[in-house]
Amino acid sequence: MNRLISGKSFIVLIVLAVVLIFFYPRVMDSYFLHLTIAIFLAMILASSWDILARTGQVSVGQAGLFGIGAYASALLYQWIHLPPVLGILAGGILAVILAVGIGYLTLRLRGIYFSITTIAFAEALAVIWLMIPDITGGAMGVSTPPLFGGNRILAYYLILAILALVIMTVWLIEKSRLNFAFTAIRQNEDVANVMGINPTRYKVLAFMISAFFTGLAGGFYSHYNTYIIPYEVFGLNVSIACLVMPIFGGLYTILGPVIGTILVKVIEEFLRVTVPYGHQIAYGLILVVVVLFMPDGLIGLWKKRIKPLFLKKSSVG
Amino acid sequence: MLELKWIDVYYGNIQALWDVSLSVKEGEVIVIVGSNGAGKSTILRTISGMNKIKKGSIEFGGQRIDLLRADEIVRLGVSMVPEGRELFPRLSVRENLELGAAYIDRAYSRRTETLQWIYSLFPILHERGSQLAGTLSGGEQQMVAIGRALMSRPRLLMFDEPSLGLAPLMVDEVFKTVTKVSQEGVTILLVEQNVRQSLKMAHRAYVLENGRMVTKQSIDVDPEKCILCGECVEICPVSAIDMTVNGQPENPGRDLGRRVSRKSQ
Repeated sequence: MNRLISGKSFIVLIVLAVVLIFFYPRVMDSYFLHLTIAIFLAMILASSWDILARTGQVSVGQAGLFGIGAYASALLYQWIHLPPVLGILAGGILAVILAVGIGYLTLRLRGIYFSITTIAFAEALAVIWLMIPDITGGAMGVSTPPLFGGNRILAYYLILAILALVIMTVWLIEKSRLNFAFTAIRQNEDVANVMGINPTRYKVLAFMISAFFTGLAGGFYSHYNTYIIPYEVFGLNVSIACLVMPIFGGLYTILGPVIGTILVKVIEEFLRVTVPYGHQIAYGLILVVVVLFMPDGLIGLWKKRIKPLFLKKSSVG
Repeated sequence: MLELKWIDVYYGNIQALWDVSLSVKEGEVIVIVGSNGAGKSTILRTISGMNKIKKGSIEFGGQRIDLLRADEIVRLGVSMVPEGRELFPRLSVRENLELGAAYIDRAYSRRTETLQWIYSLFPILHERGSQLAGTLSGGEQQMVAIGRALMSRPRLLMFDEPSLGLAPLMVDEVFKTVTKVSQEGVTILLVEQNVRQSLKMAHRAYVLENGRMVTKQSIDVDPEKCILCGECVEICPVSAIDMTVNGQPENPGRDLGRRVSRKSQ
């Protein structure tokens, strides 16, 4: 795998990283902690989008699942005072149920139909939410008390746990037969089919996994943010963010979405402070630059251009 | 073993096959020849379940399979070597082979045994086991593709143009391996444009033109009876058939009639 770092120092690095991640909230101030939580949340969205992308399906409606997760946990709290952690889980499960429905309807079709349906799905949910304000709170949104009484450090650990779960799931997929099935379907559905793979089943499965984590992220967001409105959680912004970050970092990898998210979020945060309006243009610019100049994302850039430089140097010296 | 009866196949509204019937018996090597666009690949796609039929029936081992999904049909023992090989270039030869068995439980439990069998059939694959499939030559890739199909332990193996895009020497090699596989007891259905060579190894052949079987029965390929003329074989197999050997065709078609009469002069 990574020959640049030997096995021993790799383990040391990982241990160091884990220790750092654990003690991070103790040393950081509130602003950076908030930024980190936002980044972790985005990482979950990016990684779970990438799980589905491994089967060759491009979802442009992750916001629908995100919003369902957010509203499910917020409304369940409002109605029956369900504890936030359970509410977040309920959001994830509800998102899975919706994903199964949409998946079986559209994932048997090939090409762009699924992408179109997902956009329509997210947008339709936003409209429905505005149409039945008695149940959903309408345009006024829903508010919940702060998560863990506003304790950001606990919130940090919760999102860290979800993120760890996502990364572990992706890792398990990569190690298992599932990855081959996903790759086969992405490369050529017919060939996958004659190898004994039922493409629809695996695509729906990937969509379910993706939906679960996106729903969890939505649930977390609603409690952490304490306030959600339809046009924010069901908005196209969320869906686009879900796909820009992994494409920027590098598709079909564990690290790609993670690195892509960090960079996109840092750029966005920097622009948010310096450019008061329209900082979201960063998403568009990043997408254009990546598609034109580095189709394999940052990971591809590293593997093709930067790593060889290092290897050459070290072999000379 | 395999029995197609009067099938019609459409792509959307466009009809691709008309009243196609054919039968394959256990242990046979059957070749379907025909020019570009005659519908040869469509027949294979239909048998493997990727296209659905509008009319007729397909039976495999006495069971109707035309309503099953492609992945269910593979499990029954019908495997296909797809046109253009379609390997996973970034995976090793061994991984590519193992993939062939990975999703079929019956084959997965016997995969190491099958792998040894395939290595004994194609020793070159054993040597190249850890090499990336994308770095192999076209002929070697074709063997990997055949090996991958064999990993599912098929009773019937279908080849879609195995000689496509290969150098003449490699084409010989590929046809030799097809014969080898046949000698291992696997029934073979082959689709080819390379008529001369594929007929050499076939027990029987069918000729397809514009989506229709030219003859109702399969044609005899005994070299003694020499059903092929010399030059034009590669271009148009239909014009090469000496109809007097096999009797009159059921539905010769306008074009065919002209060509046959020209030949008899």
